[in-house]
Formats: sequence, C-alpha cells, structure tokens
Amino acid sequence: MRKTVQIVAVSILCCLATLALCAGWVTPYSYSHQFRELPNAAPSANHLLGTDSLGRDLLSRILYGTRVSLFLAPLAALMTTIIAGALGVTAGLLGGWYERIILSLADLSMALPLVFVLIALRAMLPLDVAPAVSVAVTFLLLGLLGWPSSLRVVWAAARNIRESDYLLLARSHGTGFGRIMFRHVFPNLRPILLAQFWISIPFFVLTETTLSMLGLGVMEPMPSWGNLLRGLENVSAVGANPWKFTPLVLLILVVICFQAILPSQEEST
Amino acid sequence: MKNWLPTLGRRLLWLASVTILGGFLSATLVRYSPGYGTDERELDFRLNQSSVEAIRNGHSHEGSLVGFYGKYLFAAAHGDFGISESLQQPISGLIKERLPVTLRSVLLGMFVAWSAAFALAVSSLFSRGWIFGLPGTLLSGFLLALPSAVVALFSVYLRAPVFVAIAAVTFPRLFRYTRNLLKDALAQPHVLAARARGIGRTRIFLRHVFPPAAPGLVALLGISVSIAFGSAVPIEALCDSAGIGQLAWSAAMNRDMPLIMSLTLVVTVITIISNSLAADAASLFKRAA
Repeated sequence: MRKTVQIVAVSILCCLATLALCAGWVTPYSYSHQFRELPNAAPSANHLLGTDSLGRDLLSRILYGTRVSLFLAPLAALMTTIIAGALGVTAGLLGGWYERIILSLADLSMALPLVFVLIALRAMLPLDVAPAVSVAVTFLLLGLLGWPSSLRVVWAAARNIRESDYLLLARSHGTGFGRIMFRHVFPNLRPILLAQFWISIPFFVLTETTLSMLGLGVMEPMPSWGNLLRGLENVSAVGANPWKFTPLVLLILVVICFQAILPSQEEST
Repeated sequence: MKNWLPTLGRRLLWLASVTILGGFLSATLVRYSPGYGTDERELDFRLNQSSVEAIRNGHSHEGSLVGFYGKYLFAAAHGDFGISESLQQPISGLIKERLPVTLRSVLLGMFVAWSAAFALAVSSLFSRGWIFGLPGTLLSGFLLALPSAVVALFSVYLRAPVFVAIAAVTFPRLFRYTRNLLKDALAQPHVLAARARGIGRTRIFLRHVFPPAAPGLVALLGISVSIAFGSAVPIEALCDSAGIGQLAWSAAMNRDMPLIMSLTLVVTVITIISNSLAADAASLFKRAA
C-alpha cells in the first residue's frame, strides 16, 4: 500500500515538473504579459484558468511559478543537507569542543523561530531588488538557515557511528581518514541525509509561500506559489472566482506528495 | 538544593551569553545592511545644508559596531530600546503595548492545540477501529500542507480569532509527535503484560503509558512555543492583530532596523527561557520515571 502511494506521489510530482519545464510550450503566454481588457476573467478557451486582477494568464503564472517553487526548494534543501551533514559529522565524529560549539550554535539558531529570522534578515537586504535576485535571496536564505534541526539528527547518527565497533576496528587497522569517511561514515549516514533532504523540501516550499505572501519573498512580476496565493487576500474576488484556488490546491497536492514519498522511520534508520 | 544552584547558574549564564551573542549578531547585520545610516529626511528638498548635516551628525555616534552595540545593550538593560524609525515611538512602549496581545494569542493557541492533539492522539491509540485515528491523521496531514499565511487567510474568511489560526498551525506537529511518543510507550512489553492481566485502560495510560512519554511531551512544549511564535508573524500580519508579529512584519516592510533588532532580542529571550524551562522539566520527569 505504502509503495503504491509513493509511486502515485512520484508520478504526480514528475508530471508537474514536466509541465513546469515545458511551460513555454504548454501555454503561449508569458507569465508577465497583461491582457488589460481582461482582468479577473473567467476560464475560457484562450485562458484555461482565467486571468488574475492584472489580466495575466493564470495558467502561465502557475506553471512558471511551479518552476520556481518546485526546482529551487530542492536546491535549498540540498544546501541545508550539505551544511547539516558537514557540521553534524564534524560534531559527531570529533566530539569535544567541536561538538559543544556546533551544538550551541544549533541551539542558538533553533531558539528563534525560522520565519522570524527570515523576515528580519530579508528586511536587512534591499526590498526593491530585481525579481530574479529576490528568488535567489529567498532560497539562499532558506538553504543557509534551515540546517539546525537536520544537524541534530545527523549528529546523533554520527555519534553512534563514532562509538560503533566497525569504526573502532577500522581505526585499529590504521585505515586513513578519507577511507573511513567514504567507506564507513557516509554510506551509513546516507539514508538519514536523504530523509532530511526530503523532509526539508516541503518545509521550504511552505516557508517560501509564507514569505512571498507577506511581500518579503519572491518579487512581482516573477511568479511563485506564494505570489500567486496573494490573490486570495481579496475575499470578494475569490468568492466570485473559485478557480483562483488552483494554486492553493496545487500547493497542497505537492506538499502531500512530498510527505507521502518521505522514507518511513524504519527505512531512514 | 545544592544541585539546583549550579544548574540554575549555568542556565542563567547560557541565557545571558546566548542573548548577548544573538543581539550582537543582529546588531552586526543591522550595522552592515545596505542603506544603514541613511535617513529619508535627507531627501527633503525643503531642508538646507546645515539641517541635513545635523541629521547626519545624529547618526555619527553609531560609527563603530562595538560602540553601537555596547550603547544599545547598555540602554536595553535600562529598558530603553531606542526609537522606532518608522513609527517614531519608543520601542519599549511599543513592545509593552503589543507583547501581551501576542502572548495571549500564543498561549490560547497552544492550549487549544495541545488539548486537541493530546485528546485525538490518546483517542486514536486507545479506540478500536479508525474512528479517531483516520480523522486525526487526515486533519493533521491537511493542516501540515498549508502555509501559516494561508491558515491566517482562512481565519480571516471565517472571522475566527487569531489564537484559532495559531492553534491550527501548531496542532498537526503536536498531534503527530504526541501520537508517536504515546505509541512507543504503548508498545512496551510491560504495557502488554498489564493488558494481559486485565488492567483497565485508564490505569494503564496513567501508570504505564504517560510517565515514560512525559519527558518527550514536556520537551515538545518548549518547541511548541517557538512554533507558535513563528506562526504569529504571518497570522498577525494578515489578520491585522496588533501584536509583535504584526509589528515585526511592518518593521521588516519599512526597514525599521532598531525595531527589528529589539523584537529579535525579545523573541530570543522568550523562546530560550521557555526551552530551558521545558528542558529542565523534562529532565525532572525523566529522573522521576
């Protein structure tokens, strides 16, 4: 049953990723092209999901927005996993002062709510940056700041490896540092790092959405799911145009798919 | 009593050092952020050269980072966080006015979330069939897939109070973790033995399931404070609730650096205190178990 759910989830994500990659062929309009005579238009043959309040084709914006959210969140998750992996392995294997300093740093980072830190940091950068720069800044901040919770998990696993018999045996045989890392440590950490990577993706997608909805994430006219969901703020317009919920439905579907393909606890340990 | 003093001392030292370090980091970022030290009044064409110079001289005392932070920390220790650049009001007054609103929402939200999560987790584990388990899993899965800003929008649509939105964001995480902790405790061999002897469910829960799960649950309480405060920012901003979350958002939008720095410091202290208390309580429970 679990396998079937995972296959369905992966298929949905692959379909969406393909559609997003082929956005230029799927829809003839640019995400920023305005049809000024058609603001808030209902779905039609020309605009399958209608238009937004500025007369831009909603399907184009959703597909290009999916490209931004669906491809950059994994990049940020990869960055987070690499940072958490490097610091967690250093703390777990070396111990002593390295361990104390790195764990204290993680505690300090975890003490503050991530959204709060992101908002504070984003505010310290210029708000009127180019849309492409705002995308890079948003996901870079997510990637650089999301590591503390993953670090704790990697550190615990690395500490277990440090105390394992096979590592003791390898050390007693005089195995070099590089060989220990690549033959014994990383293969044993791989499932945990992979699980942390998958866990981070939906989390970053949701955080980007919140930041962009607050006007501190991806800037207009560049679409992202957060930007698209800002259209929901106008209650009366949404009530009259229920298809404006499409980005939200898509977001929920994608996050649920990512949650479904997460390895179970037994698989990740 | 003897053991308590060094622990308390260590905790206070940790709290002070983390606060100072956190404040220093935020001061560094503020000091070197683009546009620092510029004042929009300088662009006012009605002002003559000497007025512009006077405005620039007003920022000259903030020259070096250490001096800037030292003065800020000294003033903050005396309850003076400076003046908000965007609102032109004393920051300490703004915090005093807004913090109770957020604290009330966060505490009420946490209470609702904890009650719902605990009740659903216990019911799903002890009831036969799927009647409680499935709705809990589906509800938490759905809420986990919603960004907190969207939850805030729904609460605006439904005219629900802010604490309900905070509870909706906090609940799914609490439910899943609580259920896993209780499930692990329920799977212990001594619980199976107790069941085999025909001991009642309530007694099994209170004597054999809850005590081993309690340290984890108390530690989760500390984390839930951080989750609730984090969700308060978008929720208060979108629900137009006059708390520190909304203040932080408006400070961010107006690049009001002194206000952001002070709010960061306040939230750091609150979350660290709650995490420390939760960690201490968890270790107490562990020892008692």
